[in-house]
Amino acid sequence: MSGKNNRDRAKAKRVVQEQLAKERRRRVTLWTSLGVVALLIIVGLIGWGMATNQETVKTAGLTTPSVAVDEGTAFAVGTGPVKIDVYEDFICPACGRFESGATATIDQLVAANKVTVQYHPIAILDRASSTEYSTRSAAASAAAAQGGKFAEYHKVLFANQPEEGSAGLDDAKLIELGKSVGLTDAAFADAIHKGTYKAWATKVTDTAAARGVNSTPTVLVAGKALPSPTAEALTAAVASAGA
Amino acid sequence: METGLSARMTTGQVWISTAARLALAIVWLVAGGLKVGDLAASGRAVNAYRLFPYEVAKAIGAAQPFLEIALGLLLLAGLAVRLSAGISAGLLVIFIAGIVSAWVRGLQIDCGCFSTGGDLAAGQSPQYTWDLVRDAGFLLLAGILLWRPRTRYSIDGVLMGEQ
Repeated sequence: MSGKNNRDRAKAKRVVQEQLAKERRRRVTLWTSLGVVALLIIVGLIGWGMATNQETVKTAGLTTPSVAVDEGTAFAVGTGPVKIDVYEDFICPACGRFESGATATIDQLVAANKVTVQYHPIAILDRASSTEYSTRSAAASAAAAQGGKFAEYHKVLFANQPEEGSAGLDDAKLIELGKSVGLTDAAFADAIHKGTYKAWATKVTDTAAARGVNSTPTVLVAGKALPSPTAEALTAAVASAGA
Repeated sequence: METGLSARMTTGQVWISTAARLALAIVWLVAGGLKVGDLAASGRAVNAYRLFPYEVAKAIGAAQPFLEIALGLLLLAGLAVRLSAGISAGLLVIFIAGIVSAWVRGLQIDCGCFSTGGDLAAGQSPQYTWDLVRDAGFLLLAGILLWRPRTRYSIDGVLMGEQ
């Protein structure tokens, strides 16, 4: 009698324990799930907030060079009828190759008054140097443009292109290269020391991205992107655009 | 005998799930960690898929690395493993769909999976096949955890009173 009673009691106890454990699992699952969902939402919003904040900080004190064209995001070289847009990052190796291969062609087209080249110096490779060379060089090119020497300075920057993964050229070198193309006034050196046009470089980059430019070099002839930007492709596209 | 065998199988399964959990945690932590340093670039990587307006792409690109790191930490700690695995699987399916759509449309982009992506320079070829195989592998890890979320060394286990 008492043996059976004990067994029943033990069984009942086990059932109750199992139910309690089940209840506990359900409670834990519910609260951890709610917690995790809330956490992920908050974390996502933090990311969004941080990006917005970074953008605000990086574009604070925006100074747009007065000589810039195309909504203040580019510098024009030449006055010909066919418009070429070139989006480049001064540290991008593919841009360096494009420049060394196509500069002579572009110079000829400009000299023959066939094209207007709009250079958009964008900074998408700040991580490729330890000093955010992309932004600093784009800003320096704006200072050069303001001094009336964009085309010359653009060339000399590519001729002295630093390697990806290096520290990039320092400010002293940027100023020295400016001097070599005739930018000898204090205003140029000052703009580089103060980083006057760095916010502008960020804005140009953002504008380019908004236009769907996601890599460099991106070259558009009469608004149409060249699938593979080379001197030959450029010549052909300019010819078919009617110049 | 039979209970012994099934107990051994369960133990084995727990260890397989534990390995899957830690592997997936590392995947998310690495993927997020490589993007979190440059949120603007992450936004441009999303924009390169040309699926969203730029402002939307920027918001997604900014939130994504943080979500990835959070999922990585949750899996590492073993908190809400089944839910974390489910969200991981959902994200991976979205990534796979994104890559397939880029491929189908003939876009020449870096998937931005473990980098800040963007269009490829001329002469570079996309690695879509490899990207998809890799993501499918990660999806398998998430699937294992969805199916058998019980793992060793997990906060879930502690909360459930198992360990």
